[in-house]
Amino acid sequence: MTLGAFFFGACSVICVVGALVTILAQNPIRGAMGLLTTIAGIAGLFLALEAQFLAAIQLIVYAGAVVVLFVFVIMLLGPTAGAGRIGEEARARYAPWFSSVLFLGVMGFAMALVGGANTTLTSFAPSELGYGSIEAFGKLLYSEGLVPFELTTALLTVAVVGAIAVVRSAPGKKPVRRLKSATRRMFGGPVEPRDAARSGLLPAQVNDKESTL
Amino acid sequence: MDTLWQLFPQTDFILLAFILGLPLLGAFTNGVFGKRLGKQAVSVAGLAAVGIPFLMSVVAFVMLHAKQEGEEPARFIWTAWRWLTLSKLSVINGVPGEVPVALDVAFSIDALSGTMALIVTGVGFLIHLYSTKYMEEDPGFYRFFAYLNLFIFSMLVLILGNSLPVMFVGWEGVGLCSYLLIGFWFSEEKNAAAGKKAFIANRIGDFGLLVAMGLLLYYTGALDWAGMDANRASLLGEQKIWPLVGDKIWFSPYLPDGIATWLNRERSVSPATLVGLSLFLGCAGKSAQLPLYVWLPDAMAGPTPVSALIHAATMVTAGVYLVCRMAGIFVLSPTAMMVVAVVGALTAFFAATIAFAQNDIKKVLAYSTVSQLGYMFMAVGVGAFSAGFFHVMTHAFFKACLFLGSGSVIYAMHSRIHDSEASQDMRNMGGLRRFMPITFATFAVSWAAIVGFPFTSGFFSKDEILFKTFTSYIALPGAAEGAPYWPREVSLFVFCIAVLTAAMTAFYMTRLVVGTFLGEFRGWTIVKNFQAADGHHNHGDHSAHDHGDAGHAAHATHSAHEHAHANEPLEGPEPHESPWQMTLPLVVLAALALVSGAFNAHVLHSHLLDTWLDPVFASTKGYVQSIEGAEELQLPLLAPGLLAFTFGVGIAYWVYVMQKGAPAARFVAQFPRLHQWAVEKWRVDELYEETVLGAVDTLAEIAVWVDKYVVDGIVARLTAGAVAFSGYVLRQFQTGRVQTYSAVMVIGLGAVGWHFVVPHTEVLTKVDASGGRELQAPSGFGYSYQWDKDGDGKWDSVERTVKVEASAASAIVRLQVTNVFGWARLRKVRPEPTKSDSPTLTLRATPSAMGAKPGISLDGGAR
Amino acid sequence: MTPVMTPLGSALEHYVLLATVLFALGGAGFLLRRNILVQLMSIELMLNATNLLLVAYNRSHSSSLHGQMFAFFIIAVAAAEVAVGLAIVLSFYRLKSTISSDAADSLRH
Repeated sequence: MTLGAFFFGACSVICVVGALVTILAQNPIRGAMGLLTTIAGIAGLFLALEAQFLAAIQLIVYAGAVVVLFVFVIMLLGPTAGAGRIGEEARARYAPWFSSVLFLGVMGFAMALVGGANTTLTSFAPSELGYGSIEAFGKLLYSEGLVPFELTTALLTVAVVGAIAVVRSAPGKKPVRRLKSATRRMFGGPVEPRDAARSGLLPAQVNDKESTL
Repeated sequence: MDTLWQLFPQTDFILLAFILGLPLLGAFTNGVFGKRLGKQAVSVAGLAAVGIPFLMSVVAFVMLHAKQEGEEPARFIWTAWRWLTLSKLSVINGVPGEVPVALDVAFSIDALSGTMALIVTGVGFLIHLYSTKYMEEDPGFYRFFAYLNLFIFSMLVLILGNSLPVMFVGWEGVGLCSYLLIGFWFSEEKNAAAGKKAFIANRIGDFGLLVAMGLLLYYTGALDWAGMDANRASLLGEQKIWPLVGDKIWFSPYLPDGIATWLNRERSVSPATLVGLSLFLGCAGKSAQLPLYVWLPDAMAGPTPVSALIHAATMVTAGVYLVCRMAGIFVLSPTAMMVVAVVGALTAFFAATIAFAQNDIKKVLAYSTVSQLGYMFMAVGVGAFSAGFFHVMTHAFFKACLFLGSGSVIYAMHSRIHDSEASQDMRNMGGLRRFMPITFATFAVSWAAIVGFPFTSGFFSKDEILFKTFTSYIALPGAAEGAPYWPREVSLFVFCIAVLTAAMTAFYMTRLVVGTFLGEFRGWTIVKNFQAADGHHNHGDHSAHDHGDAGHAAHATHSAHEHAHANEPLEGPEPHESPWQMTLPLVVLAALALVSGAFNAHVLHSHLLDTWLDPVFASTKGYVQSIEGAEELQLPLLAPGLLAFTFGVGIAYWVYVMQKGAPAARFVAQFPRLHQWAVEKWRVDELYEETVLGAVDTLAEIAVWVDKYVVDGIVARLTAGAVAFSGYVLRQFQTGRVQTYSAVMVIGLGAVGWHFVVPHTEVLTKVDASGGRELQAPSGFGYSYQWDKDGDGKWDSVERTVKVEASAASAIVRLQVTNVFGWARLRKVRPEPTKSDSPTLTLRATPSAMGAKPGISLDGGAR
Repeated sequence: MTPVMTPLGSALEHYVLLATVLFALGGAGFLLRRNILVQLMSIELMLNATNLLLVAYNRSHSSSLHGQMFAFFIIAVAAAEVAVGLAIVLSFYRLKSTISSDAADSLRH
């Protein structure tokens, strides 16, 4: 078997095993690790398909950001993150089971159709030089894909703001006591008790009231 | 006179509009504005609404008299508007065909209806006058007059109608007014029930009238008097009535031969018999003959003027009027006339037996009315139409006088006894002769008329009837050749019953008079200057106000008062005579009862009424026949009548006056059950209750059961259950969980994907000009085709579209479609002629369409 | 099955097959697991499978790089989506004290 075939086979196995671990693991950390494995496998396949830039992006963004986010949230949630095992509090779930079986079956059927029909497979023609390189990619991205690129920027900004907005507690619920900044404490208003001890001021000049700015 | 003719020409007799319109206007005014107008105005309006039509009827009568000469009946017609036009298949003179039949709202007046209108408006006027005093204290005074006027209007429509449908409107109208007036004091259950009973019994009769109308329309093609008379020959002949459908009954092969033959024998009657019997059913309902007489005695629950007007003088005689009106058609069927006469006789006898045992004066008079109506039907049944009508006239006078007299008595009794049943009970009366002389005198005169005292009007009319029942009968012309006629025995039977009933009438009427007016007063002890112990006012001018709504409280205290005094003998003032508004009508009616005999006293050779009515009954001439030597029997046949009168009055006098009722008491003691049965009216009402009403009740209960268990249980629950079930099923999908929703989405996507993956083989068929077909396969991604155009098993074409010649259009064409996955499907198509150019969408039902397993094409190779 | 006439990884169909398997696994995982985080991870699986398919087809029609660009945008959007999704998960947890997706059934019936 050639090196390419071996590489492809290894990466495929890694992907599939990772996927299985993701969907079957009880512990979500294990699931996240499975996802990471799949992503890594995919990145390898990208390399096999001569999409080097994309492979790098995949690793940076997916493995380096998305999976990390997942892990953060799992650790934040603590033990409760392990909820929802298969079979826990069995309720009527006919539709999901049926459709997942259908899913797998349809996929199998499609595979059979594809596999059975063609007697010859579509081989990859040799690609030109610089295919999948960052320069070629950049050229395309900043010419034809400029608008989507900018929009993606906006999208990411919105996503960040949105995430913060969603997670923030409802405004006004708890009055947040904001402390005065150091600059303000130095140049504006009377001396607060906590600074008085530090700076050795006369007691009379101390302002007892806490600032509630 | 000439101005009259100019104003009211014969064919456009507007006077009828006024005669009809004024009572209607009176009814409307009194009904709508009565409360506001007050009692005086209402009385005046009511009286005018009847009095003026009376005068107009007199005018019309005079004009008729002037016009009528010879055999031609004078008839003045006024057409109001066209009601409807029917176009129907009918058999006229034996020829079937389509005939347009126009029904007009038209009224006419001729000798018969003119006389009847005079009676109705005249007696009606007197009774209106009477009611102004009798109903004075009643809070429903204006309502009463509205109903009375409405009644007069309906009765006039009935009499003056020019066709059966218009008459039917009046027929129903008087039934309605009868219901309204019987149940006038409807707050008491029994009055309302009596009203309902009257209406329903009438309704049963009306069914007969409707059937008759249908039959007449079919056979004669017309429903107005002139049209029916013109075409009445079509009513003769045979009409098969059995077996109803086909030649034999469907289950007759299972019966023994003899019975089957008898059952299947074709029976037919003449249409005239069917019509006559149906019409008589209507008459039986309206005029209280057997078996529908049961409503009349109950109708005495209404105020006495109502009983006098409706149930003595006018409404109940509508049946007799109908028979007279349709005389020309009735005589075509001796069978029907025989039925009329026999039923009349039986009714007369039956009612008389009940009257023997009744103690309520109004009930006695009610049964006497039924009995006298039987007399009238006996008369018209044998063909003596003018004799029957004569009796209608005299009966109207003396019976109305009797009823009004009894009302006067009740009025007097009410001053002390307020219970409605006790104040009408003869056992509480007696000796009223001294206190109410005018009432007694008029009552006695009417009594004389009804029992047949010589030279009173009742004597002449009753004797005429007895004579005619003996001598007259109906036979179709050509009796010698076997045309239908009736046997002599029937006439004799009717005659004997009539004589017997005359004797019985004399007996119970005398009993009534003796019990009410003669002897000692049994109602209460008369105390001079009576003052009631707890100081309520002397009810000198009391009327029947206790029955009104306002009087209910007073009634309650009065009955309590009476109950408190139950142990002490009742004390009260002298019974008093009634005021002039009540006695004047009595006097007038009594006078008429005396002298109206002069109109048709045959023994005294006065044939006024006969000659007057002859033209109306001209069409019956050939059918009403007399036995031989009838003329000589005129005087001798007075004897049975006189004997009946003498015997009846004599025995009654002996029993009740001389023996003070002892023999009667002995009879009752000897046959207590018989007596009880008679008192309970032979329990006919109870029989009806068990059978007819029981059947209706059972039907109703079956319907309730069906409604509860079948409709509610099965149908309603089934549909509800189906809906609930489908809701339950669908609810399973609404779990609120995203996974469920996405799962359903996946299923849907799977279906869509399936649709794209499977090769489709629907064939579009287009017909081109030469009759050939063009078949087109569907297109799809990567589809390849193979056609076998001529059914020979070899593939002919790989195009998407093929053409098939017209000649080969019946061969089966095969199509195989292979898609890009290599999945092939086969379809067999028959390019049949299509009705239009729209594509034929054939169902993919043939199992052979699913040919290939995926991955293997049918024939290994060509792609 | 047909005999493999080309080495693994050198025919388009191999990649399609793999992408299909990954997609199916991701879909099944999403439909069957009740843990919201695992559901999100399954979604990421499905997106990755799609990316693989895109890139494989692009390699098959290698005259331009549009497929890869598309995949690039998918990665970017997926990242944003995960951020927001996890924020929602945290809010959900704050509300229901669990991250079982069965608890999110307010639309029930």
